[in-house]
Order: sequence, then structure tokens, then C-alpha cells
Amino acid sequence: MQPRFGFLRERVAIIGGMSSALELRGLSKRYDDGTLALDSLDLDVPEGSFFGLLGPNGAGKTTLIGAVCNLVRPTGGEIKVFGLPGGSLEARSMIGIAEQEPNLDRFLTVRETLVYHGGYYGMRRQDAIARADRIIDVFDLRAKADTRAPKLSGGMRRRLLLARALLHEPRLVILDEPTAGVDVELRHDLWRYIRRLHEQGTSILLTTHYLEEAETLCGEIALISAGRIVARDTADGLKRRYEAETLEDVYLKTVATGRASQEPVAP
Amino acid sequence: MSATEASPPPAALDARPRPWRGFLALALRECHRVLRLWTQTTLAPVISSLLFIVVFGLSLGGKINQIDGFDYEIFIVPGLIAMAMAQAVYSNNSSTIFQARNDRYIDDVLAAPMHSSQMNLGFQVGGVFRAVLIGGALTALAIPLTGAPVEHPAALLAAVVMLLAGFGALGIVVGIYAQTFDHISFINNIVILPLTFLGGVFYSVDRLGSPWEQLSHANPLFYVVEAVRYGFLGSSDVSPWLAFGVITAMAAALIASSQYLFATGRKLKP
Repeated sequence: MQPRFGFLRERVAIIGGMSSALELRGLSKRYDDGTLALDSLDLDVPEGSFFGLLGPNGAGKTTLIGAVCNLVRPTGGEIKVFGLPGGSLEARSMIGIAEQEPNLDRFLTVRETLVYHGGYYGMRRQDAIARADRIIDVFDLRAKADTRAPKLSGGMRRRLLLARALLHEPRLVILDEPTAGVDVELRHDLWRYIRRLHEQGTSILLTTHYLEEAETLCGEIALISAGRIVARDTADGLKRRYEAETLEDVYLKTVATGRASQEPVAP
Repeated sequence: MSATEASPPPAALDARPRPWRGFLALALRECHRVLRLWTQTTLAPVISSLLFIVVFGLSLGGKINQIDGFDYEIFIVPGLIAMAMAQAVYSNNSSTIFQARNDRYIDDVLAAPMHSSQMNLGFQVGGVFRAVLIGGALTALAIPLTGAPVEHPAALLAAVVMLLAGFGALGIVVGIYAQTFDHISFINNIVILPLTFLGGVFYSVDRLGSPWEQLSHANPLFYVVEAVRYGFLGSSDVSPWLAFGVITAMAAALIASSQYLFATGRKLKP
């Protein structure tokens, strides 16, 4: 099932040649220990799209996200966010990120976490307080609003991570495995919320290990392996292209075997 | 989760960054942390420094001759305040950065639309706030207890500013490089504390014989103590210009180091 309006907008964006939410050209990252995490990677994420990035552990997903969000120092290439240089203040203000590992400030309550985050992103304090108050309700965090992060359950921490990522109303939301370790009920809650966000015009880049999650949510999917994009299309397009019945089969044929790594992929 | 009835509005169109608001929020967060842990961050250092003044100054001071024309309990006040403030700003900044790195919530700051200088300065503010609370409380208590004067308030203010800038930046640098809390404690217990004690907090280095007097002049903490002592008592073992010159150079070098780390992301970002 595709998100109805978001999918349509995405198709229009692709056909109409609308601007990209994210453009990566020749992006490389070699860590100090010599590991090549990103290998001259090219990728375009169309504005308004719900874009999935799939790949095994160590494929470079989190490094890619870190490079886009000013959390990793790329060793080469170019990043543009809505046409603006990656790492610029303007670009950073347009991105919201929910990282894979809950990284919440241990000294702050739920409400304070959100209010300070709003401040970091340039919101007036009274606006941040009002916005935090609204988003606390959206994510059912009201009962824990004055609880400090270390005392929250795993599910509550996930909700807070997502709420924090969205607090400053970013145009591009990056979700790094947002449903990892989350129970089914919360996963569906998160899906519903993310879909709603996408329908309202927010571009979303999602990484996940759950193939059915990518197939359900994402209008377009890129498969990453060894720091390179090895395949990219809609879920149906990928299945047709690799003559596979399921996305899992595509995954096994591309990422697991590296078959597609020799094929050129349009950015 | 009530996504439909209370979902956020569409993505904001006005995405102009306002980095000074980010800096203010970070500075407030750092002060918030100090106040949340006030018994550890403020009360304990005030009590321990006050005990030094009471035990060494008021109890034993009567048995010690005047130093540089001042009663002993008065002579030790500037050095003790300088030592408490230096330790406070260093400990605060090193631990706040280390914890933020260790738990990775520093990412929320690094990803935000702020200049590197604003991040650096924002993290400094908590330590400065804590040191000023401690220094202010100690001054307010020590002056009526001992009768210590403040001869040159402007010089005292300048010395304190340099002390806070230098030790605050040192805390940032150590907090960024530290792999464990032991590294932070090591610098405090094995470097700052001994050098401060040997920098003339409790005695005048003029009274030391050669080569200890000369060695004391190679100790940068000596100049910090002397600059603060000049502000309080109006006298110091070395020229106040030399003391201010050394601590200004030290502060500038350490601030440049911490700014280099934020500007390049070295050790903060892989």
C-alpha cells in the first residue's frame, strides 16, 4: 500500500523534474582506520518523496546520513540539500534527523529536550514551548512530559527521538531505522504518523532493515552495498527489473550477491 | 498516537537560520545542567574552599608571620578563589562535553544550524556560570570572614575573565579528547591541582630557595594566582603586566585549540 497523495506527488516530481531534496555527487568517506564507508556515491532524493535506503549492516547507510547531517566528515564529493550546500546553516535548518541509537540528553525531561532542540534550531523560546506542547500530544508523551530521558521506556525514547526530529518542522526528515526494536503496535503508530507527515509535503529519507516497511511506505527505494548505490527504483520496478516476486528476492539478488554492483545506476 | 487530529503543520517555509538563538539555547542548557546538579557543581566546591580558609587561615594563620605585609588568612584568599574557579570551569566543561559525546546527544548540537564558534562558546557558558557562582559565593563569604580587600576591581575582573576563558577552553579540549572519565580526572588531579598548589596559593614563591623559585616561574598557574592576587591585594610576586601577559597568551592558545576542534570536527565527528 502506498501513501496516496505522497506517492502521486513523488511521481509528478520525478516526471516534472522538480528540484531535489537531497543531491549527493561522488560522496566518499574513508574512516581513519582505512575503512571505505562511502565510495563515490551518487544519489538524488526528489523533493516531496518518501525514499527508502536499504542495505546490510556496514553498507554505509548511517555514514551517508551522518555526512548529510554534519555528523560525519566526508572525505570527498558534494552534498546539496534543496539546492543549498550541505553543511551550510540554511541546509542544516531544513533537516530533521532521528538517529538509529536513542541519543537523548540525560539531564533533560521530555519537554525540556524538545524546547532546547527548538532553540538550537533558531526557534523563539515561546514558539518552541508551544510547539513542544503540541508535539507531546501528537506522540502520546503527555504522561511522561516531565520525566528525564534515562527513565523512559524504549518505546517512549523512540517517540521522543521522532518528536525531536520533527519539532522544528524540517522539510527533509531523515529516519535511521526508526522502528528498530519497536513493538508492532508502536511501529504501526510511527508508520501512520510518518505517512501523514509525508502527505503534508515533507520529504522523507528512511533507512530500515525491514523490507516490508520499505515496500509499504516508500515510493522509491535505493539499495546500498559497500558504500555504493547498486539499484534504485520503485518496489514494483525493482521486482520487475530483477524478475523477483518479492523485495526480499531483489535484496538477495542485489545487495547480498553484489550482482547489480556492476550495473550503472541513475542517480 | 493521534496523528490525524494533532499532526504538525507542513514543513516550515521560513527556514532562515538564526544561529544566535541556537547559541543562547545551548548556553541556557549548560546553565540548566549546573543548577540541576547544584549540590555537586556549586555547594561542594564552596564548602571545601571555605574549609581551607577556616582551617589554614583562621585556625593556623595566627601562628604564621605575615606574608608580603598581609595576614596569612588574607594572603591565601585570592589563590583559593582562583583555584576553586579554575577547577570548576575546567571540570564542568570537560565533563559536559565528555558526557554529550559519550551519549551522542552532542549530535543534536552538531547537526543544528549554529556556527562552530557558537557551539564552542555555548559549551563554555556552563562552566563560566558555575565558576562565577562559586567565586562569587566564596568572595562574599571570605571578605567578611578575613577582611581581605579588593584593591583593583578592574584588574581582578580581567584576571578572572582570562582564568575562565583559559581553563574553560582547556576543559573543552580535554573533554573532546578524553576516552574515559579517568582522563578528565587525571588532568584535574595530576596537573591542575598540584600546579595550583605549587603556584603560590599558600605561600609566596619569593620565599623559596633556588631552584624552586625559578621553577615556580615556569608554572603557568603561578601567573593565574598572581594576577588574581594582584586584583585582590594590590601586590604580587611578579609584575602584574607579566602575569596578565602570560595568562592572556595561555587563554588565547587554549581558545584557539578548542575552536580548531569545533571548526574542523576533529574528534567530535568521525
